[in-house]
Amino acid sequence: MSATPPSADLRSRVLAAASAEPVPPRAVGTRRRTIALVGGFMVPVAVSLYLGWPGSGGRPVAYVTTLAVAWLAVGLAATWGGVSRGQSMLGRSAAVRLVVATLTPVALLATSLVAAAAWPQTLRDDATMGSHLICVVFTLLCALGPLVAFAVVRRGSDPVAPRLTGAAIGAASGAWGALAIELHCGHASPSHIVLGHLLPVVMFTLVGLLIGDRVLAVHGGSERSDPR
Amino acid sequence: MLAAADAPTALPFLRVAPRGIARGTSVGVPPRAEADVAMERYAEGDDSSFALVYDALAPRLYGYLLRQTRQQARAEDLVQQTMLNIHRARARFIPGAEVTPWAFAIARRLLVDSMRRGKREMLSDDGEIDPGPDKGPMADEVAQARELATRVERVLAKLPASQRAAFELIKNEGLSVAEAAQVLGTTVAAVKLRAHRAYEALRGALGDVLGTPEEGKP
Repeated sequence: MSATPPSADLRSRVLAAASAEPVPPRAVGTRRRTIALVGGFMVPVAVSLYLGWPGSGGRPVAYVTTLAVAWLAVGLAATWGGVSRGQSMLGRSAAVRLVVATLTPVALLATSLVAAAAWPQTLRDDATMGSHLICVVFTLLCALGPLVAFAVVRRGSDPVAPRLTGAAIGAASGAWGALAIELHCGHASPSHIVLGHLLPVVMFTLVGLLIGDRVLAVHGGSERSDPR
Repeated sequence: MLAAADAPTALPFLRVAPRGIARGTSVGVPPRAEADVAMERYAEGDDSSFALVYDALAPRLYGYLLRQTRQQARAEDLVQQTMLNIHRARARFIPGAEVTPWAFAIARRLLVDSMRRGKREMLSDDGEIDPGPDKGPMADEVAQARELATRVERVLAKLPASQRAAFELIKNEGLSVAEAAQVLGTTVAAVKLRAHRAYEALRGALGDVLGTPEEGKP
């Protein structure tokens, strides 16, 4: 079987089809991806500016700074593991993406609990359902930009496990959204962190899982699209 | 009986290919690195390099897809789609990335999609592989090899899909274990285990052809 080469005209058909559908070289692609990422991250910046200059909101400044740095690290790690492909066109291993998708909210929660333990006064729970809801909405809004940007960057690029990649991308974008709102939110109780800040991360992970196959998977065109 | 060394191309996994050279085909496939180099040039802007990428990959992809679909036209359609996906990824090709496992992963994905769409017709009515245009009378050894290939395929068909896929990618398509692991989205250890189990099942079923471990003992 393997001795049979493809038919002689397949080569010319493929090359003709490629010529008919010009794709820019990598330098142009890199520029476009950079623009998409910058544009995506402008969304949380814009929302943040809309909410005013980041402040402690009555929380200890050291607590806010510590948590922000920790969540920034989680966001960077999630983006590295879930969005960046490393040196392989097939992306990072499934294990890495699974860790990103499942442990990102856990890592955010763990760091917030550690920070709360260091500053026990933040454990006071004065958040209402309304404050939970406001943080959910703004976290989702902030995370939307990175999610779209990541989806644009990785669109149609995963032939192996696009749903898992989608979940990892969702978790990473959720982490960025959570970070943006954490800088403004005046509530620090664990229940508010879970409901107002981490629930949206889980929601975005699920959204990524759902859209992964449609947006990130490699798809073929209709078969026999070219006349033979 | 057909000795392993005499096995024609219908049983590519019985042959041993030099390390570092693409196995699984006999149509003059260049070393794998050529595909990487050509894709690198193509990503950098050399339009003519796509033909080299095609030449390096298409025969192997076609062999793989033909084995899976048993239809020349279908396999060619999938090769075309795979190559166009590679072409469309030109702008996001990672410097230094390996092309072969990526290409096989795309081909496998398109194949699975195609099968899911219910368009798969594994065998023609007589159960034989669609041979395409008639290329003349079949020699005895080719007929013998085909019979053996049919036996092999029956054994492989009974294996779990994960074992079959690992075995085919390594033994038929000449991918390394690490490359097969990338294509299948799993670990190297898992691929080794799956391929080993598939090989054991094959050896158990085709002991009369492949020989058993006891045969070599005094």
